[in-house]
Formats: sequence, structure tokens, C-alpha cells
Amino acid sequence: MTEPEDRAEAGPALDLGDRRALAIVPALNEAEVIEGVVRDLRRYAPWADVLVINDGSADATGEVARAAGARVLDLPVNLGIGGAVQTGYRYAWSRGYAVAFQFDGDGQHRARCLEDLARPLLDEEADLVVGSRFLKPRGMTAYGFRLVGIKVLAVLLSCVVRQRVTDPTSGCRAAGRQAIRLFATDYPQDYPEPESLVLLRRHRLTIREVPVTMRRRRAGQSSIGLWSGLHYMAKVVLAILMDTVKVPVRLEG
Amino acid sequence: MLWAQRIALLALGVGLLGVTLHLIRRRRLREEYAVLWVLTTLVVLGFVLVPSVLFAVARWLQLDHSVLLLFVVFLFLMGILIHYSVVISRHSECEKRLSQEMALLKDEIARLRDEMK
Repeated sequence: MTEPEDRAEAGPALDLGDRRALAIVPALNEAEVIEGVVRDLRRYAPWADVLVINDGSADATGEVARAAGARVLDLPVNLGIGGAVQTGYRYAWSRGYAVAFQFDGDGQHRARCLEDLARPLLDEEADLVVGSRFLKPRGMTAYGFRLVGIKVLAVLLSCVVRQRVTDPTSGCRAAGRQAIRLFATDYPQDYPEPESLVLLRRHRLTIREVPVTMRRRRAGQSSIGLWSGLHYMAKVVLAILMDTVKVPVRLEG
Repeated sequence: MLWAQRIALLALGVGLLGVTLHLIRRRRLREEYAVLWVLTTLVVLGFVLVPSVLFAVARWLQLDHSVLLLFVVFLFLMGILIHYSVVISRHSECEKRLSQEMALLKDEIARLRDEMK
């Protein structure tokens, strides 16, 4: 959170006009880092309201986030990443936000990237903009089996959505009004990042990737072993294939 | 059918009926499931009392009656399990929606409280 590059510049001004932007931050037991995440957002994306979704944390995540100046939604039970993020989209839809960002509560995303994500939305070039770590060589932050897994998923997903996807598991994204509406009604539960791209496609919404950089996660967190990695891959692939045959839901509102 | 088989099936049917009645009396079973299990019990007892039906169907399908019984039980259990998967999925969807609504309402209350101050 205190990398020297972060102190280099103050928050850039993004011209939203009369549109409002919301940063949805799902967090589960992130009391130690959530303050830094909220501050990062308030500093580098001051034009966005910060909404932390406290997904039934056992620690003080909610209080810490509130004290740091975020609005916090406390889920009474742990819903998992999909249910938590969807809560944010429901909030964004009912409160009329034009842009909703997804921003991980564990500190791996950089708030400075949000501006790049917002621009294609504001220019109405896409309904969902995904921050990809793999569009520029400097952004690469996955290694070994993890990287292989992401590449395999990227190829599969690219085939399914008939568009090049380089970073299928990126949780650093920006949704426009149509995507917010869709996600408020229907958002995948298990592997929401890759699955939601299929969902968007089925509803004829457009996806765009822009390059971002991410921090390496703190040691221990991303250390998925080979076998659990394969298990994860098998489940994601199945989930994606099932998504392609689901009948699209009718949207509310 | 051997008497030993009939007695075993009879015990099974009566036991199932007893458990079902107990659960209904304690209000631990919803009506739709109560009906399902009472009907199941009746089918089991039916086999015990009129085994000739089972034999007739088995002859018609050219199966041994034990194989037929196994097949019927298997289909029945599959049906029940699929039904339960659907119920569980529906419940988890409901639970998710309720939790989300609850978090949103709590936020709404906090907002109103702040406005009143």
C-alpha cells in the first residue's frame, strides 16, 4: 500500500459530468488492509463513491472501512464473492449510478487504474471494461501454473464470447448502466469474473479490455497448489460451459 | 415371495409410516413431504400385501422381480434427490436475495437516521 510510485501524484480529475460513479469493494476479513484500499480510492479516484461490501467478516473490516470514510454494507451471512459484488450492483442500480467499478478489498488493485477503465464507458465504447494484466508486458503478475491456468481459461473464454479475452479472472472492472442493470438481476455466484463475461455476451452487451497493473498479492494468499488449481480449472470450465446453455433472465426495472 | 422377505418389507413399511407420523405430529415435516412419505409407505405396504402385482409387472418386463424392485427404488431415489437439489438451489437463491436486501435496508435505515439528526 505504501509503494513509492503511489505518492507521486495526486488524484486525477475525471470529467463525469452529472453522472456518478461507485466503487464496489467486496471484502472478507480484510481489517488489516481495507483502510489502505479505501484511502487509495479516495485519493486516486475522488470522483467515485466508495462502497465496501463486508461479506460477513469475523474481524473489524466493516468498522475500519467506515472509519476510513467508506459507505459499508454489512451482509448478515457470508455470501461469497458473487453474492457480495451483486449487492453492490443492486445498490448502484437502485441509486442511479452511471458507472460501477469493482475493486478488490485485498489491496491488489490500484485505484489509479480506474480512470483508464472509466474512459471507454464514458465514451460509450463498451458496456463493461475489464482491466487486464496481460495487455502490456510490464503488468504481468502471475507465474507458473497459475499463469498457464489463466492462459487456458483465456483461450476458452475467448472462443465462447467470440472476442479476445486476455485476463479472464480480473476482478478490476468498470460497468456501465446496462451492465449494472444486468448484474443487479443476474450475477454468477461461483466464478463471477469469467462467468459474467459469458452472461454479458448472451445479453448482447459489449466488453472491452484495457491494460492495468496490479500488485502482487501478499505471500500465502495466492499460493494455490497444482491440484487445487486443476480442481479450480475444471470447475470454472464446467461453469462457463453451463453458462452458455442457460436461458437469459428477464431484466427488472 | 418368501415369508421372511414379506416380514422384512412389512417392518420397513411400518417403520417408515411410524417415522413419518412422528415427524408430522412434531410439525417437523411440511405437508408436501408428509404426503410423499405416506404415499411411499403405502406403496411399500402394497408390495407386501399384494406381491402378485410386482410379479406381474416383472413378468411383463421379463425381469426378475428383485431386479425390478431395485430398479423402482433407484428411480424413486434419483427423483427425490433431483427434487432436493432443486429445492436447495431455490433456497440458497432466496437466502442470497434476503441477505442482500437486509444489507441494503440496514444501510437505508442508517441513512435515514443520519438525516433525522
